[in-house]
Amino acid sequence: MGTDARAAALEAPDDIDAINRLYRDKRWGDGLPVVPPTPARVERMLAHTQRAPDDVIAQVAPGFGAATVERIAINAVLAGCDPEALPVLIAATEAVADPAFNLQGIQATTNPVAVWLIVNGPAAERLGMSATFNCLGQGNWANATLGRALRLILQNIGGALPGEMDRATQGFPGKFTFCCAENEAASPWEPLHVERGFARDASTVTVVGAEGTMNMNTHSKEAEELLRIIADTMIHPPSNEYVHGGEPWIVLGPEHADVLKRGGLSKADVKRRLWELSKMRVDRLSVKDLLRARESRTSELGELKPDTLLPISVTPDAVQLLVAGGPGTHSIFIPSFGNTHAATREIEA
Amino acid sequence: MICSTAFTTLGRAQAKALGHPGLPIAVIPHPFGARSREEVRALAEQCVADIVKLVSG
Repeated sequence: MGTDARAAALEAPDDIDAINRLYRDKRWGDGLPVVPPTPARVERMLAHTQRAPDDVIAQVAPGFGAATVERIAINAVLAGCDPEALPVLIAATEAVADPAFNLQGIQATTNPVAVWLIVNGPAAERLGMSATFNCLGQGNWANATLGRALRLILQNIGGALPGEMDRATQGFPGKFTFCCAENEAASPWEPLHVERGFARDASTVTVVGAEGTMNMNTHSKEAEELLRIIADTMIHPPSNEYVHGGEPWIVLGPEHADVLKRGGLSKADVKRRLWELSKMRVDRLSVKDLLRARESRTSELGELKPDTLLPISVTPDAVQLLVAGGPGTHSIFIPSFGNTHAATREIEA
Repeated sequence: MICSTAFTTLGRAQAKALGHPGLPIAVIPHPFGARSREEVRALAEQCVADIVKLVSG
């Protein structure tokens, strides 16, 4: 699909402070200083895709602005991305527009939900991404700027401005940036993109409607015990996932993944055990939340009685596993928005 | 369109984004979560005439 819409050039003083004042006044930023998207910088970015600048990748909810390749590139410059990163953002923009992802809900909800980007395949190393220590923290340029660029795309093209169409009650820091690669080398199982049907040597980006991160520090060295502790963490009554049937994510540190592997468990085994162990009695929900759960899950589970055990997701394979991080006895639980399914797209080589 | 007061800004912005800046919006008090079914029913009865007017207008 093409469009004649190329971005209009805006004359601004050659002064970083004045340009940042302009972006601040226009609410074109995320609250942090931006890199001025001069035509030269945007052209350098565009050189890294075969797509035409006016190709429309998606209409981004809730404002349904047209995400042209050029507009994606402009936001990538604003965020400080390396030009080579553009194809990741094109694929991510296409992924968030997948109807199963429910971008409208994610962008406009009161829920604190960010879009988490997971990169798999050779692109991660090529772009210098971190999949090891502190991969969801600060310090890696590619991780930080890719997540930030997607946020700017969602806000500037999608129109989700806080207090206007973005109705988040508090939000959370992951809405500035939330991006990592999978530590494929340290994973005992097939990587995420292979599990999702892509070739091992393909590069992909997966988008997740993610709430915050909950750390699980345990020195457990026994697989069944470790699974019980993770499942206990997943159980929490004020959760959209139990209400709607969700898609919870567990990011296993390599040491915990190794414990599970040595316990003889495949990825599918781990998913099934976590799904079974994290079932929650219906009477742990508030009365009001039980009404919501009844609307969403009666057709799946029949009548919800106080002692009915609610699974966190409709099926065991909806429990999602990623291996990421460096040494240490930590894994993290990342609840999803609930009404969302992660989407994966291949990154243009 | 029907919005609770807390979501009217979203409703207006989205109507504009979708090319209907003048779309009439029925506004109902926020929040719902703390209200009983009876209270919600009473609110609906108060609003229904206005909503019918918007839809048929």
